[in-house]
Amino acid sequence: MKLLPHWVSRPALAALVAALAIGAVLPKVLGWSVYSQNQVTETLLFVAAALAWNWMGGYLGQVSFGHSAMFGLGGFISARLLLALHLPFWIAWIVGGLVAAGYALVWGHPTLRLRGPYFSIATIGVGEATRLVMTYWEDLTGGSSGLSLPITPGLKSELYWWALALMGAVIAGSYALRKSTLGLGLLAIKSDVDAAADVGISPTLMQDIVLLLSGFTVGVCGAFYASYQNFIEPGDMFGFDRSISFVLMAVIGGVGTIIGPAFGAVVFVMLRQYLIGSYPQLYLGIYGVLLIVVILFEPLGMMGLFFRIARRFGLLRPEVEATLEAKAAVGGAAADPGAREGGAP
Amino acid sequence: MTVILRAEGVSKRFGGLKAVDSVDLELNDGEILGVIGPNGAGKTTLFSMIAGSIPPTSGRVLLEGKVISGGSPRRAVRAGVVRTHQIVRPFQNLTVLENVMVGAIYGKARPLGARERALEVLDFCSLRDRAPQLPGGLTLAGRKRLELARALATEPRVLLLDEVIAGVNPVEALQMTDLIRSVREKRRLSIILIEHVMPAVMRLSDRVIVLDAGKKIAEGKPQQVVKDPRVIAAYLGESAAAAAPAQPGSGSFPTPASGSGPASHPTPPSNPTPTSTSPSKKGPGERP
Repeated sequence: MKLLPHWVSRPALAALVAALAIGAVLPKVLGWSVYSQNQVTETLLFVAAALAWNWMGGYLGQVSFGHSAMFGLGGFISARLLLALHLPFWIAWIVGGLVAAGYALVWGHPTLRLRGPYFSIATIGVGEATRLVMTYWEDLTGGSSGLSLPITPGLKSELYWWALALMGAVIAGSYALRKSTLGLGLLAIKSDVDAAADVGISPTLMQDIVLLLSGFTVGVCGAFYASYQNFIEPGDMFGFDRSISFVLMAVIGGVGTIIGPAFGAVVFVMLRQYLIGSYPQLYLGIYGVLLIVVILFEPLGMMGLFFRIARRFGLLRPEVEATLEAKAAVGGAAADPGAREGGAP
Repeated sequence: MTVILRAEGVSKRFGGLKAVDSVDLELNDGEILGVIGPNGAGKTTLFSMIAGSIPPTSGRVLLEGKVISGGSPRRAVRAGVVRTHQIVRPFQNLTVLENVMVGAIYGKARPLGARERALEVLDFCSLRDRAPQLPGGLTLAGRKRLELARALATEPRVLLLDEVIAGVNPVEALQMTDLIRSVREKRRLSIILIEHVMPAVMRLSDRVIVLDAGKKIAEGKPQQVVKDPRVIAAYLGESAAAAAPAQPGSGSFPTPASGSGPASHPTPPSNPTPTSTSPSKKGPGERP
């Protein structure tokens, strides 16, 4: 009975498999319109992207405002491959993801030595520099007029199941990253990078690995998005609000939790749809307000609320809740501000 | 006795300041070596170089003939040298057990059986019943034991303990002393110990070295070293060295609880014979 590693919880695995199975038959059972099915496809895609962002921002505590760079690069590389070589789209996605991961490593390896706000500021620079270069690199991106992809009939509805598979893989990856022995190392780095190094962890190596995985996944999401939209342009793919959207999804859902960003992505996509339709001038401002409200009142977002409700109804023991919250908190000290007092002067 | 760890002419310069100046050190297998000296003497910097977290400006550190300094802490930990921190640094977001598991997993890159090994170490450090808690719920003494447990879980040969006793109450200090002794006896480790609590240093150490302003100024048996005029001068100033050779060990040493070192420690003001056997000692106020 050693089929599974010891850190895999059977109920969690069963829940994921069941959810994916239900998801797979849902469009037929409910008889969704094309429009609804596309909305759900896009939502699943951003669930995957938000979870992959969370590996950096939540698990490692390295909040990136530059993930649009990988999203856009994955998108344009795969678009170019599809236009030039007529590859199967999923091969183009993987190549797009690999290029995005390589690019992430190029800027991440030096900047990941920075911690906290300094890293975040560096990623803003990376994101904006990438956007500018890509806007003027017309041979790759088509400049501000963008790229149109070859249209494959029937692809768009088929993409729903691809999105479901992608999301399933990313959820499993999120779980594995947190629960495996690697996850303990990541949490240790988030809490105290020097103390982690002093017990034998190599923070540089671990952070590079996580950024590679995160960059690859977000690159694949960008490539998927290109196939889904059929038309992409640099201002949208590499835009700063693209990067911000990943941060927002994670924050709304619960940064640092395993599954929170997934709920955040769902809320975010629905909210954006409504706001862009109803208040196109205001929607960025409303995001800002939402961000402030969440951080002020429930730093762990929707997951924080779930924890609270579960404890209220006796489903979660207080000490278990405390442990869950400590793991999710960005920066180990935030979990317990009093714990560092004392000690030798 | 065989030498397990050797530091050869280790120096560290921070800009114009020589924090550690050409220090030689030998640690025998199974020995407890005390490192004492006033605040700012370079003790912790010396530790950081031995543990690989900062590279020496010159000199090197060898564990059984293999160079461990100048690389990364990971190299030192893999070789078998691990340190604890003076100000405890538990991973606040991990439970006590998980804290120790991090050491067990990453110390020698051996994830298998990490949980069992961590539990054994927690047992050894009397923390087993705290395993599922967050470290924030422990007392300072508990967190110091956790710091020690996490280091032990990396399965080191040499343990560098940076003030694991200072700051806890006398009963806890005695428990910690016993724990350190049993680390040596039951786990067969060699230990270097930085400590300001003199009674503990005197009881624990086989040998003591004294640092002052980055230089090693004395070395030997604890009882001899504290009578050394140069050592007394380093702690209390020159005049005290001549006046009170019997004081060390009886509570007159500066402890963290009494302020921040020699500068705030009252030097006997009226000393009839301000002579000194030590030619080039600074007064207490001149130290950085």
